[in-house]
Amino acid sequence: MELLAQANFWLEPAGSPALYTKLIFALLVGFGVIGLLMVAPPAARRPVVAFATFLAGLYWVMLYLWPVPIAREPGQLPRDGVESVGFFLKDINSDVVSFTVILTSFMLGLGIYSLMRIHVGRIRRHHEDAFFSWVLIVSLLLMVGFGYADWSSRLGERSALLELRDNWGFVNYARDFLFEGLLQQMDAAMFSIIAFFIMSAAYRAFRVRSVEATILLATALIVILSLMGAVAFEWDEGVARMANGNPLLLNLQLTEISQWLRNTFQTSSLRGIAFGVGIGALAMGLRIWLSLERTGGSA
Amino acid sequence: MTAVLAQVTGDQYRDTGWFGVFLTLLLCAFILINIARARGGKDLYIRRIAGLNAIDEAVGRATEMGRPVLMVPGLSDTVNAIAFQALNIFTYVSRVAARFANPILLCCYNAAVYTLAQEMIRDTYQKEGLGDRFDQDSVRFVSDRQFAFAAGVSGLIMREQTAATFFLGEFYAESLIFAETANSIGAIQVASSTETTQTPFFIAACDYVLIGDEFYAASAYLTRQPILVGSLVGQDWAKLTVIFLIFAGVIWNSVAGQTRTTRVWNATKKAYEDVSERPMPPDQTAITNLFIPRKEAITVERTVDPNFTPEGG
Repeated sequence: MELLAQANFWLEPAGSPALYTKLIFALLVGFGVIGLLMVAPPAARRPVVAFATFLAGLYWVMLYLWPVPIAREPGQLPRDGVESVGFFLKDINSDVVSFTVILTSFMLGLGIYSLMRIHVGRIRRHHEDAFFSWVLIVSLLLMVGFGYADWSSRLGERSALLELRDNWGFVNYARDFLFEGLLQQMDAAMFSIIAFFIMSAAYRAFRVRSVEATILLATALIVILSLMGAVAFEWDEGVARMANGNPLLLNLQLTEISQWLRNTFQTSSLRGIAFGVGIGALAMGLRIWLSLERTGGSA
Repeated sequence: MTAVLAQVTGDQYRDTGWFGVFLTLLLCAFILINIARARGGKDLYIRRIAGLNAIDEAVGRATEMGRPVLMVPGLSDTVNAIAFQALNIFTYVSRVAARFANPILLCCYNAAVYTLAQEMIRDTYQKEGLGDRFDQDSVRFVSDRQFAFAAGVSGLIMREQTAATFFLGEFYAESLIFAETANSIGAIQVASSTETTQTPFFIAACDYVLIGDEFYAASAYLTRQPILVGSLVGQDWAKLTVIFLIFAGVIWNSVAGQTRTTRVWNATKKAYEDVSERPMPPDQTAITNLFIPRKEAITVERTVDPNFTPEGG
């Protein structure tokens, strides 16, 4: 186990032929395995996928359940078998995460392929919205091109220099304009639309149609008013004067009622939902891990 | 060479106690036991869930109107249990849509979810013997930026005039953008978010909402597969256990809070000390310490590897 933790197959100098050879070898092996799985009949494929799923899940289960060695410093040796496993699980964590990142990168490629297939198809068919497909493809290429150029210009010693805008070149300005100037602003514009949608949704939700809707309307009104500083202040002051020190009547203060609603009803309801969701996720995770789930619309 | 260290944090058994791990394993056991029971032919009951009964109604309406059904499996950053469950429900929706030759649109936020969705939906059509009806472009990756995705999906809803929309999974601030856009064109909406902060938005704007764990009950309810039904009953056992623990904890803690103690934790001496009697503080009751054990500083001695070379050294 120690040997496994120490051996680092990828420990070659960056850009060296040995590293590239190993990368190409790993890619070929990866594609070979995928190719084999694709040509294999489903009955043969299923146990392989189930085993891989179990193995991948087992790592995370072990990482959670196995006692984590505390106060570990670099270079220390484990005291016993339990710690050896704990050390091993921690040490391979970055490799497991890297593996996940690599898989995700391949998936992103497939996602972009899907996007391009739809939009190139539209351009070919002279679809009425083909102009927007052009916009998407050109934007994608520009963002990738200038993003990469900007990233590579910041490598090494120039990184510190480019902290100052005065030292920026065309690619840095172009990337900044595309990302900060356009994309982030459009994101913010979409986000701001929510304010209007909240208004229209609230208008429909808070109409008095039934007993439940009326209760909802009343509680919402109390909470909204309690958050309006001037209203809450005037109400609370009025109640305080009327109560004349009576602690029972002081409970009628707007902020008190609002707090009671939130602590007693809202928090407990949210926690109840959270328990249900957590247990549901646990069951779902177990079924996926143990390959008990049958998908694909099987009834 | 010996390193002597005194550190407190870093060990989940010390942070949450053995009871947390024991409880997790117990809940897992409940689920697995009930799956075994259901596989053994035991007839298990599931209550009616209105939001799920509405699926057939929504797809039927889309068929009558000749307009597509739109599905969004949330904004999960990777293929997790939530995205997987959403896709499970969508395979059912797609099966019903395939039988009626109704067009579908499944928009993905994450490329990994997209790949899985493509396979699952294609598989559904093939199992129904309707592989030729599957349009590869009906399952599409839109964007992995939250509001670009929101803009893309909203645009699709408006352009395609979808008759039925299903928003199931992890949703955040964009939930209301989807729901209100679909509402503006009169689409029938079934939604569920595992994010409790978004559930009220869906309730305000959608026709049917699956709340909390109803989302996870959906596939069992729709397919009645013994494994899923058994798992659902196991979840109910787990919930009953949690409810029992809450009640027991409330009573136990209330009683403990009325008792008096002489034990006080001295942080300087790192030990308990006997003092004159005082009320039991809430963080010292037995039930609190069961879940949140007292973190005492400890000393760990380990040998350092003689061949170890520090980084940069």
